[in-house]
Amino acid sequence: MSRFSGALQLTDLDDFITPSQECIKPVEIEKKVTSSGAKIKIQEDGYFQVEEDGSTQKLQKVEITLADCLACSGCITSAESVLVTQQSQEELLRVFEENQKIKSNGGYQEAKLIVVSLSIQPVLSLAIRYNLSPNDCAAKLATYFKQIGVDMVVDMTIADDFALLEAQREFIRRYRATESDGIKNVLPMLASSCPGWVCYAEKTHGSYILPYISTTRSPQQIMGSLIKQWVGHRLGDRPIYHITLMPCYDKKLEASRQDFFNDETQSRDVDCVITAIELEQMLEQEGISLASLENSTFSQPWLASEASDVFPELKRHIGSGSGGYADHIFKYAMSELFGENCSDLEYKCLRNADFREVFFEKDGKIMLRFAVANGFRNIQNLVQKLKRGKSQYHYVEVMACPSGCLNGGAQVRPKTDATIKELTKELEDVYNSLPCQTPEDSKVVKELYDVWLGGLESDKCIALLHTQYHAVEKNTNALNIKW
Amino acid sequence: MGSLNLLQTLKKDNGRVWNLSWHPNGEVLASCGEEKSIRIWAKDLTGKWLNKIVLTDGHKRTVRQVVWSACGNYLASASFDATTCIWDKKGGDFECNATLEGHENEVKSLAWSKSGQLLATCSRDKSVWIWEVTDEEEYDCAAVLNAHSQDVKKVVFHPTKDLLASASYDNTIKLFRDDPSEGDWICCGTLTGHNSTVWSISFDKTGSRLASCGDDQTIKIWKEYPPGNQEGIPTEDGDSAWKCVCTLTGHHARTIYDISWCHMTGLIATACGDDAVRIFKEDDDGDPNSPGFSLICTVDRAHTQDVNCVTWNPVIPGLLASCSDDGEIKLWSFKELGQ
Repeated sequence: MSRFSGALQLTDLDDFITPSQECIKPVEIEKKVTSSGAKIKIQEDGYFQVEEDGSTQKLQKVEITLADCLACSGCITSAESVLVTQQSQEELLRVFEENQKIKSNGGYQEAKLIVVSLSIQPVLSLAIRYNLSPNDCAAKLATYFKQIGVDMVVDMTIADDFALLEAQREFIRRYRATESDGIKNVLPMLASSCPGWVCYAEKTHGSYILPYISTTRSPQQIMGSLIKQWVGHRLGDRPIYHITLMPCYDKKLEASRQDFFNDETQSRDVDCVITAIELEQMLEQEGISLASLENSTFSQPWLASEASDVFPELKRHIGSGSGGYADHIFKYAMSELFGENCSDLEYKCLRNADFREVFFEKDGKIMLRFAVANGFRNIQNLVQKLKRGKSQYHYVEVMACPSGCLNGGAQVRPKTDATIKELTKELEDVYNSLPCQTPEDSKVVKELYDVWLGGLESDKCIALLHTQYHAVEKNTNALNIKW
Repeated sequence: MGSLNLLQTLKKDNGRVWNLSWHPNGEVLASCGEEKSIRIWAKDLTGKWLNKIVLTDGHKRTVRQVVWSACGNYLASASFDATTCIWDKKGGDFECNATLEGHENEVKSLAWSKSGQLLATCSRDKSVWIWEVTDEEEYDCAAVLNAHSQDVKKVVFHPTKDLLASASYDNTIKLFRDDPSEGDWICCGTLTGHNSTVWSISFDKTGSRLASCGDDQTIKIWKEYPPGNQEGIPTEDGDSAWKCVCTLTGHHARTIYDISWCHMTGLIATACGDDAVRIFKEDDDGDPNSPGFSLICTVDRAHTQDVNCVTWNPVIPGLLASCSDDGEIKLWSFKELGQ
């Protein structure tokens, strides 16, 4: 079974056809041109071209990178096998080992600073798996990572805050552009933090849908900017290897996007994504009992003060376990646009529990209509509504996984006697038991807007906290047409 | 034994004819094929079948299957252009009043549930989709099922329940149902046994048995064993178990593309790549747990090329329609000898 979300399974991102079978990407193969046409001999250790004089030359293996696959509308298929080699726990351990070697040879300055950012959903998934409290689980994961060669373990909540604040402001810009300037194609704003959804929209619906997708980067990629740009700069431009722990496999695709490759540092904002399932495997392979590890601290390398290591105090945001985008933006819009405050939002379930909506009515007119649409079937219905011009929404929080990110495709699977639904409920309960974080109240975020980004809505905010999307042209290669 | 007598040959299309569907009243036949159009055939006053209507502007590529809803008011068509069209006569003439998009590539088959509330489609993209008809007569996607690992060739609903069967290039047949506790459709059974692509499936009248055929040139009969069955066949999660109780081999020389189980006579007809149409009859007094079926009629050169589809008329016993790569549709009357 593929580990990608349903949306990507459909767009052929996972169909395991190896590049040699169907890849249409032109690849340059280094070999000599012969006059009589090439003879190729297949041996166990590779393919050899036989020269006219009888000597042989080993042919290079064709390598397709994930970036090649993402930019191509052909098969795209090998993406998963490519991912396995480029973003696997093996790759991670290889990097750790290499770094350790450099360090033990005295090259401390050349060694990379290895940073791991933990997102909330996989920490909770592992906490339930190993029967730990969320904070203990995070603190023990910090210890585990430091044992295997990581220099700093950090909490990604700060990036969630940035993403929410940016999305709130972006929504107001779009709403006003529609209301006062009559600009079309900017509402509904659609959430952008789910790479399964974004990739599906790019490959399948292109220019119909892309203008609606929020340009705000996902928390993972904002974390990438923060760590590589700001923290890297603060620490004297030391090379950083940045790992994120995420709830879904699709995040690996997001990290590999060309948009998040930095030419200056010649590296990606996020170098490697590992998921809850993979971390569980790593722990099991090494025979490590997470519960038996000591608690350790999270770093806050973006702060000016030195002694900023603290024990983890995990937070949630209001709203869904996928980041709470709909709730934050709804409340912000009510106060910003209509000067109204509201307490908890009451959603109404539509066709199923994964499609629910909420609205704000004023003088008999619906001023704000928001929805949360999780899972591929609801994405379908939303997209078709949009295409037919029948959507009445101002904002939709779209996530490719049913139940959203707490049930991400790479979260630890339920034990044999539990269903996914029961496990998701448990994850939601644990998530809702955490103390609440309000992005507007974060002093650190405020300070970073000043010292790092040069103020709200600055060019730097656009450059580092926003991104763009690219429609992938449908390929009509005759070879791809089958019965 | 029996004989299949040709009643009439219908030919209009230049390309291959892929599929046929009888209207539930038995008086109208729809056909589709490479010409991208759908033809509707009915009898004139003299009893000859004529092409009455051609529906042209629904699809951009080959139309692979057409199927009438149980109420007879809707005709759905599946095309290699990745879309599904729903045609109705609300405005007087047949018009395409809904186009369902979502499949990534060729839609191979489709089926209405008995109630008409659900439509299932399947595609080369390996997925099976369930569409729900809303009160406003729109079609909402109720489920996208990624259970198959290859191209899905055929979907068929159970004759009375909302149970869907699908047949695939991955050699399996899968069963799906709505699971209210999950709020989604689930795969509730995988029938393995065919050694190659399963091309078509057909339920018997009661829906307690399913016939399948495919690239391995065999027919298999699958029987439902509900929870608590007398035979003691184990079941899981309250779902019935389906066991292969009969395999018919040695009758077909090529791939069997289609199978139709008549709900009136109980006869099974097959469409084969060897250009023949065959009729099978269940043996009398057989053990329900290992029934026998006998070949009682073969028309060797029923068509001049692959036979793509066979279908029994739902009202007139023994009336069979077939169509082929040769561009022809043939209507046959089956008579059992000695009756």
